[in-house]
Amino acid sequence: MTRDEMERALAELPFRLLRRLGRAIAGPLALRMGKRRLIHTIMAGAEANGARIEAAIRTHEAEERALAAGPGPAAPASAEHRVERPADLRALLEGIGVPEPRPFVPDDWQVEAVEALERGDVIVSVPTGSGKTYVAVEATRRAMHEDRTVVYTSPLKALSNTKYTEFCKIFGPELVGIITGDRRDNPAAPILIMTTEILRNLLYDAAGGEIDVRLDTLGLVIIDESQFLADPERGVVWEETIIFCPSQARLLLLSASIGNPQELAAWLSSIRPTPCHLVRHQHRSVPLRAGYLHPNGKLTPLFRTVAMPPSPSQAVLHPEAKRLFTMFEEDTLYTRRSG
Amino acid sequence: MPPSIHPVHLITVLRQKSLTPAIVFLTSRRSCDEALQAFEHAPDRLPPARQESITAVLDELTAIYPSLHDHPLRKIVTACGVAAHHAGHLPSWKIAIEELMRRGCLDAVFATTTLAAGVDFPARTVVLTQSGVRRDQDFTDLTIAEVAQISGRAGRRGKDSVGFAIVTPSPYMDLGILIRGLTGRPEPVDSQFIITYPMVLNLLKAHPLDHIQSILAKSFAQYQMNAQAVHLEHRIEKLHAKLESYKPRECSDWLTQWSAYDHATRQTAMKLQARRHHPPEVRARLPYLTPGRVVAFPRFRGIVLRRYRSRGQRHEMVTILRKGGVMAESPVADVMGVIDRTFDFAPAPAFPWATPEALAWLTQQLEDLPKHLPLLTVPPAPDEGEGELVKSLGDLFPCPTCPCRPTCGKEFKAANTMKQEWLHHTRTVQSLRTGIWHKFQERADILQDLGYLDPAFKLTADGEWARLIRIDFSLLLTELIRTQAFHAVTPATLAGLMACIAYENDRPASFPRITAALANLVATARRMAEALAPYDDPPLLRADVGGLAERWVGDTTVTWAQLCRSTSMAEGDIYRLLSRTLEYLSQVHSLQATHPDLATVAAEALSRIRRGVLEELP
Ligand SMILES: Nc1ncnc2c1ncn2[C@@H]1O[C@H](COP(=O)(O)OP(=O)(O)O)[C@@H](O)[C@H]1O
Ligand SMILES: [Mg+2]
Repeated sequence: MTRDEMERALAELPFRLLRRLGRAIAGPLALRMGKRRLIHTIMAGAEANGARIEAAIRTHEAEERALAAGPGPAAPASAEHRVERPADLRALLEGIGVPEPRPFVPDDWQVEAVEALERGDVIVSVPTGSGKTYVAVEATRRAMHEDRTVVYTSPLKALSNTKYTEFCKIFGPELVGIITGDRRDNPAAPILIMTTEILRNLLYDAAGGEIDVRLDTLGLVIIDESQFLADPERGVVWEETIIFCPSQARLLLLSASIGNPQELAAWLSSIRPTPCHLVRHQHRSVPLRAGYLHPNGKLTPLFRTVAMPPSPSQAVLHPEAKRLFTMFEEDTLYTRRSG
Repeated sequence: MPPSIHPVHLITVLRQKSLTPAIVFLTSRRSCDEALQAFEHAPDRLPPARQESITAVLDELTAIYPSLHDHPLRKIVTACGVAAHHAGHLPSWKIAIEELMRRGCLDAVFATTTLAAGVDFPARTVVLTQSGVRRDQDFTDLTIAEVAQISGRAGRRGKDSVGFAIVTPSPYMDLGILIRGLTGRPEPVDSQFIITYPMVLNLLKAHPLDHIQSILAKSFAQYQMNAQAVHLEHRIEKLHAKLESYKPRECSDWLTQWSAYDHATRQTAMKLQARRHHPPEVRARLPYLTPGRVVAFPRFRGIVLRRYRSRGQRHEMVTILRKGGVMAESPVADVMGVIDRTFDFAPAPAFPWATPEALAWLTQQLEDLPKHLPLLTVPPAPDEGEGELVKSLGDLFPCPTCPCRPTCGKEFKAANTMKQEWLHHTRTVQSLRTGIWHKFQERADILQDLGYLDPAFKLTADGEWARLIRIDFSLLLTELIRTQAFHAVTPATLAGLMACIAYENDRPASFPRITAALANLVATARRMAEALAPYDDPPLLRADVGGLAERWVGDTTVTWAQLCRSTSMAEGDIYRLLSRTLEYLSQVHSLQATHPDLATVAAEALSRIRRGVLEELP
């Protein structure tokens, strides 16, 4: 690379990279220079830093090429257009909106979970928003057919209330009751919504000899948000509930995605009369995309691919998002230092 | 450029790109409220048709929840189509916002990150503005599970073909944490099993003592510890095989002999050093500063990981494991007291001086230690002369004439390290297999000493009713009842005390004055909590919050608005305080059979609490 070539290539570099190069060569003073002076300063140090400058130029060029070959229609690669990158933003936002209405068909995993309950306990660990409630409702329906009572627990009163309303709509208010720490409505109903603490207390009482018909005919215990087992303060209540759960009742544990659902299933199988069936998947029913929004209002994809990278090691930032975030960090760092 | 995007600008961009409705997760209630206030001065107003649909929903809900009627935020929500949703709001208001979101009436909701797990309303887009979350007084990174929980709110089935997680930067945001959260696998769920007093009483009510070990063995905690133990047992077997290979010798206990000598050599060297450089009271403490010992410093406690002396230094040092896994190096002279508690752990020859599992375990143990622990009284150091010390060493030298001596001397170090490791693992396995059961026995012994259990570990008359109290700090409450602290108490004062016990938040605020009767009762409770401190961590017991419950119960003409005006506490917090008080009172009320008078007072308090806003909700 001749000096002329180098100087021309430097002029093509984004300001951010120029600043970084300038700082490496001339120290923090470079952070206050304009583009022309920066190039001048870098060139003045080119003798000693030739390799570093060339490396920076090559990396940038390689990134540009990769970007142009990336998903979506090729973008014009000139420096002026790089800033908005309409093609990539278009890809990010493509297909946004309301899908065609479709008749309700349960997913395979939902059917699998409901059917597995006929044979034993079930753990469902799927992403939030997948439709775990459907499994709970169907399982409840089946238990009702067999004249068995159902207990549904959730960690929060607010969630219990939402479920209470939902179940009342489905099964009719006369069949549904709710018990929380300070309120009881229709507590003799065959479907009972409660917080996990309340169920634990009922189980204590039953073990202590107080007769409770609801527990005698108990056919199904649904524990929603069962990842709460790992809550430092309240987790113990979930464990107690599971340990003390009568053996004739089936357990249905609904949980958001967790790291070790097999371990939980193996544990349940080891302490319960029936083997525990695990239903799990990581698939989001509505696909997720990630974007980066700069404080100046510029929106870009967060990752190089529009689809979510499958693991952190494969997560490559979109160059524009990376550039903007680096700029943000430098700006805030600078004001923080001077302020 | 402002450090982070202005809320009005943010929503404008989201609207332009059809990314609404959105949930914007912010770090604090304050920032949620401020974001909403920013819209007051914004020119954009919703078209009248949309404003009307919001009004219609709110009116419909007002029929069920009267407190919505003149809610101060109604106007701005209706005019701008944005809202805030956090724990400072009344549940009825939160329900209204959730319903508006569900029906698609709002464009955005500003919510706190802590709430991500508790909301059940999805949106097209979630906006992430921070990589941390405030927990108690600390600021900690979001876990992968938490980010998953947040991004799981994006994309409503049947209403969106795609969901979006939009990251917008703010100072101190760590983008790496969010990327990991968006793409990583959630953390495993680990057991948090502990033995509580109500658990002991209720288990012993239903089962004889000798059945209980097998019941506790069913816990997930035990299941996970068994897996660890099996893993360690493999290591133990391997070590055992390796140790076997050091045979044959003239004598079978060469390792013990050499280790005794080695120990004595090091002890003597240390004693000589200590004699020269440390005052007697520090010297007396030295033998106790062994790895695993809990020690007290003026401002913190920690576990000794090792004792050492740096080359060229006179003073001995200890490496201390502090709360949260922090390591500190301190001169032994700084150790203020030796606490009567040690933990066996697997040491490591280099930093951090313990195996990672051991370190994690020790950190946990440190967290779990009761706040008050007895100090050891350390006997004064014996005053041996230097000559005596050296002489006694000579006597200890093993096998002066044995032909095996050179081999033993060479192999001793490696073999001994292995043996120590073997010993530690064996002990760890032991504690993994029986730890929970021992903890149960410990708690049962305490309950026996206090008189809730008889010598055969059956419930006494006191135990029979005490098992019905199943709240945090149950022991404090039952002891107060036993000592007649509630004699002739009024419903208001009882409610006040329950509020003090139940409220575990130290967010400062101003409150109405408490009565002398409540102040006395709180003082009694504090004394009791202090006496019980070795057995159970005391509650915060802040007296000021009791004033609210006392006022609400004491004067039934007080309206909700008046109550809110008498304090700087947020409405949602007042609600939560009173509803926790309700739970505690219900537990007292359950003692009708044995404590009819107290139960009647509790019933009266309960019925007085349940009015106005507290009655309108499930
Ligand atoms: N098989 C399905 N097809 C279409 N929509 C579904 C299906 N199952 C559930 N849903 C919808 O998905 C949404 C989320 O369901 P929910 O049970 O609340 O999720 P979560 O798994 O978080 O509990 C609901 O609106 C529900 O109606
Ligand atoms: Mg759910």
